[in-house]
Amino acid sequence: MLAIQDPFGQLPVPASTFAADIDPLYTFLFATSLFFFGLILAILLYSIVRYRRKHADQPAANNTTHNTALEVVWTLIPTVIVMVVFAWGLVGNMDQQVAPKDAIGYTVRAKKWAWGIIHPGDAKQTPAEMWVPEGKPVRVTMTSEDVLHSFYVPAFRQKRDVVPGVRQILWFEVPEGQGFAGQDFHLFCAEYCGDQHSKMAGTVHVVNQEEFANEPWKGGLPDDPVARGEYWYTKAGCLACHSLDGSRRVGPSYQGIWGREGKLVDGSSYTVDAEYVHESIRKPQAKIVEGYDTAVMTAYDETALSDEDIADIIEWMKTLK
Amino acid sequence: MTTNIPTVDPATSGGVELRKEPSYLRVSSGLWSWLGTLDHKRIGLMYLVGVTAAFLVGGALAFLVRLHLWTPDGALFEPATYNQVFTLHGVFMVFIFIIPAIPASLGNFVLPLMLGAPDVALPRLNLASFYLWCTGTILAIYSIINGAVDTGWTFYTPYSLETGTAVVSMGLGVFVLGFSSIFTGLNFIVTIHKMRARGQTWFKMPLFCWAIYATSVLQVLATPVLGVTVLLLAFEHIYNIGIFDPQYGGDPVLFQHFFWFYSHPAVYIMILPGMGVISEVISVHSRKPLFGYKLIAFSSISIAVISFLVWGHHMFTSGQSEFVMVAFSFLTMFVAIPTAIKVFSWVATIWGGSVALSAPMLYAIAFLIIFTIGGLTGVFLGTLSVDIHLHDTYFVVAHFHAVMMGSTALAFFAGVHHWWPKMFGVMYNETLAKISAVLILVGFNVTFLPQFEMGSLGMPRRYATYVEEFQIYHQISTVGAAILGIGFALMVGYMLASLAGGRRAKANEWGGVTLDWHTPTPPNLYNFDEEPVMTGDLYDYTSGIPDYGKDAPMDKDELAERQAAEGWNA
Repeated sequence: MLAIQDPFGQLPVPASTFAADIDPLYTFLFATSLFFFGLILAILLYSIVRYRRKHADQPAANNTTHNTALEVVWTLIPTVIVMVVFAWGLVGNMDQQVAPKDAIGYTVRAKKWAWGIIHPGDAKQTPAEMWVPEGKPVRVTMTSEDVLHSFYVPAFRQKRDVVPGVRQILWFEVPEGQGFAGQDFHLFCAEYCGDQHSKMAGTVHVVNQEEFANEPWKGGLPDDPVARGEYWYTKAGCLACHSLDGSRRVGPSYQGIWGREGKLVDGSSYTVDAEYVHESIRKPQAKIVEGYDTAVMTAYDETALSDEDIADIIEWMKTLK
Repeated sequence: MTTNIPTVDPATSGGVELRKEPSYLRVSSGLWSWLGTLDHKRIGLMYLVGVTAAFLVGGALAFLVRLHLWTPDGALFEPATYNQVFTLHGVFMVFIFIIPAIPASLGNFVLPLMLGAPDVALPRLNLASFYLWCTGTILAIYSIINGAVDTGWTFYTPYSLETGTAVVSMGLGVFVLGFSSIFTGLNFIVTIHKMRARGQTWFKMPLFCWAIYATSVLQVLATPVLGVTVLLLAFEHIYNIGIFDPQYGGDPVLFQHFFWFYSHPAVYIMILPGMGVISEVISVHSRKPLFGYKLIAFSSISIAVISFLVWGHHMFTSGQSEFVMVAFSFLTMFVAIPTAIKVFSWVATIWGGSVALSAPMLYAIAFLIIFTIGGLTGVFLGTLSVDIHLHDTYFVVAHFHAVMMGSTALAFFAGVHHWWPKMFGVMYNETLAKISAVLILVGFNVTFLPQFEMGSLGMPRRYATYVEEFQIYHQISTVGAAILGIGFALMVGYMLASLAGGRRAKANEWGGVTLDWHTPTPPNLYNFDEEPVMTGDLYDYTSGIPDYGKDAPMDKDELAERQAAEGWNA
């Protein structure tokens, strides 16, 4: 099955139902291209060798300026091929565009530079990690809180830009019983979104339906609040802009942050305490540290980080040297 | 104007004929004779210097990008710096180098010669276009110093509205460069309509002129939309007018429509003149008329028309209507047909020719190979379902580099090698030129074939860092870029060396027959000693190769005689 779909080994693992259509089309395009490229190259090289100018005054072997039959043929052949390819791609795309009615619904919120995934039946965002069941269509409704992003899972052959001000919908289904349960796949941001674009990544965990019923996205959080704080830091997107070692990124470093004092752009001073941290997460533009006036941070609301999560972050910040 | 006619002793000039007039290079001297010149050839040469400098800057930036991507975490820069570097690479290559490259340098130099004209129709507009190009370039450089730009060359909203970098001044630079392009296009349209030689009907015009004509129409019709777009972007940036920014009720996807309505035709503004150059080079170096001349001419025009109708294929993942996508995909497929016709016709021209493996021909063959790759991979991206997977990956990067760098830039260099002896009257070291052509062909494929592969595997573009499984492809690609760099450095070296001490070029170095080879080498200020008249076929290599001096243009009596005998109207 795999070998027929992608004999040249050029595509990622075919972990969605779309692959069954797209991979053979890709292979058809590749094989046809290879054939025509080889043909053109062969005729070109043959002509160069065969008709090479051996003495300076050598005239052309013939002076044919056209051949109507030949020209008609080589206009028609590409026309037929591209029409076949167009129709094949159209049918596949109609499938990609319209989610089945029984699809289970996810919400994805994109911001610089983190994915927040709200699983079905849940109200809280899971940062950067998505659990999907095999054998069930999944419909993802996506919004952006700042600039353009694009939700792209190469293994699913599916991609959709996330546009601020618009709800974008994408769907896919991981085929059942082909061994994809238990595997993890890359989630990339495919539309350029600024400094940490390439770090705006996530993981899609495919699980079987029984495991999915246990809501695996809810487990796995550490018991220790400090460890939980660190988890939010690494997963919810904080680390893209805030270093721990004092180096300058988009925003100020967290090195020795707790109790730190300094100046804001408006000239007033600040002290990092619980209230300050809370405000900086909920309303990032309220207080901007001097020297970071061009930095723009997207706010985290209750769905992205609850007050309890912020409390965890504060506990963790207290431990930072 | 000085009119000191140099005297050349035939005994010491290597058999070159005495000139009736000094060449355009020697007719006057001093800095102002260049900066204030209205001569299309001198303006063309100033453009040649300018766009080549822009190419070298853009190329150096590209090499920095490739070096940075040697390791998954990025070997050279912080992500913010990397984003600025790839943006500047794009802006320099697209707006400052490739759009003006062939029309404004080679077009300026060669087009009036091919038409048998003393100059372009509007010489002052021509010079104005050059100074607009300089102004736009200075604005772009100012933007780099004044905070740089990190939006990518596409300036997508809303990121371009909130980034604290110099987007407004860069936009202004692009706006001014656009007008430079419009001036050139307008000038060439008028020139082609009004200044063709007597006897040169539309279908006796070399294919390079057809390509430049199609390009010029695109420049005049499409570039104003770019102007409108960057102006709106600037207004949005400064006054928040709410057209592109969703915060104020605008639509970011509308920006993409505006941008690609220009930038897709711009792709053909880039490639059509390249196709024109290749047609000429292949005909001359195969010593054979272009196969399917009319079909090639019409395919240039049809590509120009279709190019206005396919912009939406840049936005297949943007959430535009599914029905619109069907139309855009369908129309996109029709670009493939005239493109295929051109490739087949070029190969058929070589077939049965008298093929000289000269330096310009090697560049043209490299073009043919890479352009075929670029064209075929374009069909992948026009196919809806496959594009959803490949969109915004390295597959796209590799595809448009095959068309822009591997095709347009190589056609540009093929043309520069082809007309260099005509321009300067000297020849470069052809052995080095052949080595450089081969290095560039090999280097290109080593750089970009791995990029196709990693794009298919899902590597997104514009990434400052990447997951480890793509490292091997990035490393091979960087090695390829180094080979390309050596090839281009070698080219700059032998070209400059030829100016200092190259052998004197023959009057008709390659044995061309179009009117550009009916001029002295280098040409006179007004190109032709006497007004040329076209009598025979366009690409007729069988009735003798013009060798200026031996094949002097006809006088009026001779013309009238031929007119009566052959029944055509001048």
